[in-house]
Amino acid sequence: MIEMLEFLILDNLVYILAIVLGVILTVAYLTYFERKVIAFMHVRMGPNRVGPRGLLQPFADVLKLLTKEIIFPKNANKFLFLIAPIITLATAFAAWAVVPFDDGWVLADINAGLVYVLAMTSLGVYGVIIAGWASNSKYALLGALRSAAQIVSYEIAMGFALVGVLVAAGTLNLSDIVRAQEGGIVNWYIWPLLPLFFIYYISGVAETNRAPFDVAEGESEIVAGFHVEYSGAAFALFFLGEYANMIIISALTAIMFLGGWYSPFTGDSWIAQPNIIWFLAKTSIFLYAYFWLRASLPRYRYDQIMRLGWKVFIPITIVWIMVVAVMKVYNVGPWWN
Amino acid sequence: MMISPELFQQLIFYVFATFTVGSAMAVISVKNTIYSALFLVLCFFNTAVLWLLIEAEFLAITLVLVYVGAVMVLFLFVVMMLDVKQAKASQLKQSYTKAAILIAAAMLVELMMLFGYKLSGQIPTNELIRQEQGYSNVQEVGMELFTHYVYPFEIAAVVLLVAIVAAIMLTLRKRDGNKQMDAAKQININPAERVRIVSMKAEKGHGQDRGEES
Amino acid sequence: MTKFVKYLKSLTLNEIRKGLMLTQKYFFKRKFTVRYPEEKTPKSPRFRGLHALRRYPNGEERCIACKLCEAVCPAAAITIDSDVREDGSRRTTKYEIDLFKCIYCGFCEESCPVDSIVETDIHEYHFESMGKNVMTKEQLLAIGDMYEEQIAKTKQQDAKYR
Repeated sequence: MIEMLEFLILDNLVYILAIVLGVILTVAYLTYFERKVIAFMHVRMGPNRVGPRGLLQPFADVLKLLTKEIIFPKNANKFLFLIAPIITLATAFAAWAVVPFDDGWVLADINAGLVYVLAMTSLGVYGVIIAGWASNSKYALLGALRSAAQIVSYEIAMGFALVGVLVAAGTLNLSDIVRAQEGGIVNWYIWPLLPLFFIYYISGVAETNRAPFDVAEGESEIVAGFHVEYSGAAFALFFLGEYANMIIISALTAIMFLGGWYSPFTGDSWIAQPNIIWFLAKTSIFLYAYFWLRASLPRYRYDQIMRLGWKVFIPITIVWIMVVAVMKVYNVGPWWN
Repeated sequence: MMISPELFQQLIFYVFATFTVGSAMAVISVKNTIYSALFLVLCFFNTAVLWLLIEAEFLAITLVLVYVGAVMVLFLFVVMMLDVKQAKASQLKQSYTKAAILIAAAMLVELMMLFGYKLSGQIPTNELIRQEQGYSNVQEVGMELFTHYVYPFEIAAVVLLVAIVAAIMLTLRKRDGNKQMDAAKQININPAERVRIVSMKAEKGHGQDRGEES
Repeated sequence: MTKFVKYLKSLTLNEIRKGLMLTQKYFFKRKFTVRYPEEKTPKSPRFRGLHALRRYPNGEERCIACKLCEAVCPAAAITIDSDVREDGSRRTTKYEIDLFKCIYCGFCEESCPVDSIVETDIHEYHFESMGKNVMTKEQLLAIGDMYEEQIAKTKQQDAKYR
């Protein structure tokens, strides 16, 4: 029996390491990609000094952050102050455990994967709240409160959007959700669940505190919000957590609405084969959309965010869940097999 | 060193059970209310692990999602906003302690009666029933909820809805001089009614005069 | 009714789409960025950069220590001491400009009756230790000697507008 335990632990450690390193590297280049995309939309060049075309810029940034001093504010709660960025990062990485990269390429193929992901992404708010409270700064506390209210509100819309997926696929297992969308672009859930798709993605943007929903940071009014007192490596952890969350939201949107690793084409040619490349490409589209939105839209006012979440998204999702249920029961469209 | 899976499981159980009880004790004994709330979060987490051990993964994750992810966030939110003063031991009234001990003792007796007499025949004492691989307790929970327990479930849902509406009604009040903006009204404007675009003949400024001179 | 139609229209996200298309259009546009150390934009002859003290063609320094620049300097960056030289003319013994205080407004240049203090178009300079930010008379004269040709040229170009 000891062999089984060893096998479990060693093999899983390798997988976990691979995923974590992959995510960290992706985050590093995501920051580069973000700066380039936003620069291009501003008709600028973006970072182009460190390395060829600025490709080494992320490493320069990381080195800078890691060598900087971590400053503890006066009267800050040191323990909570330090543990907050760790919570943010841990929850962001924990969600990756159930993400299927390809058929069978998943660390933990659990039945309640969808709920698990929802739980993990909603736990990220603890890092924000604890950071805001432990910093002993009014800006940080304001940012934390905003973030808490925003995430709790959008989690409901997000959860309802996922209920739509659940109704459509009939399972909470992420791999099975992807398998239910086999067979070309018409079988993807984006078509029957179009409003839910938009709501899920927008709620995801809100949940990760990214523009135009970044009132938790809100440079113009509360300086930098919850992480205003953080510097050096502690700030780097927040940064890493935020970007890891962005990737996971994009990956989940690809899995639940765009058929994960399946090709949009049908037939027997090489282009129609399911492959991890498709999954990565679909994820990249949503990551690009994050930056596209950030470059295009001004920040929402706080009450407008609340209005959008409670008065627009939640009613629409509830209505559409019923529509989906009716479609499924009467077998409307090619999606229900 | 040989660790059999059963022993391993028991080890995990005792470690997390200790943490559960310990953090639950800390919730009521810690002076700082923020710490108290955070210990409650820890307690929920450990309970979730215990539930995972009895293969109730859906319930465990739902516990984390609902209680940790939403309810405790609001708790923390309120605790941070309220700025509760830290109570000193001398401020606690002795009579409260006595009443508390009395209630706790009553609860203990009730629980012992429940487990000792009522449920003694129903709890499998030596071995948990293990389901085969591929068994989805999500489906099982859903089936039970929507067939067997559909009326209690729906009634509970309606009661909760009523509670939400009532809470909003009780706290919703319009103050005089409140300058709150109505986002819906602000969004619902027509640019054509607000901005008038006038075409004007270009005026001759100083810049142009200069240009003609040189 | 129109309100309802508007609500439905808002659900199409049309306005957000318009905004996104605009930024996407600019994404592909030619970038304006000047790759600075390799590429440089042309400078106006009026550019106000590092200061310099000029000399007459015969090598005599122009400055007559009238202290108009010191008086006009809004940042009080200029300090001047003067004395009588052996030949009886009034000259500065100390002419210092604190470049950390200086706001590069060019008033000193405007006020100078003998075109002695000028601002050159040098803007790429730095200091490596504390105190080096105060330019002494010798340094200013040296800059003037070094860039006299350039200074004369820009003055010539700008002369007809003065």
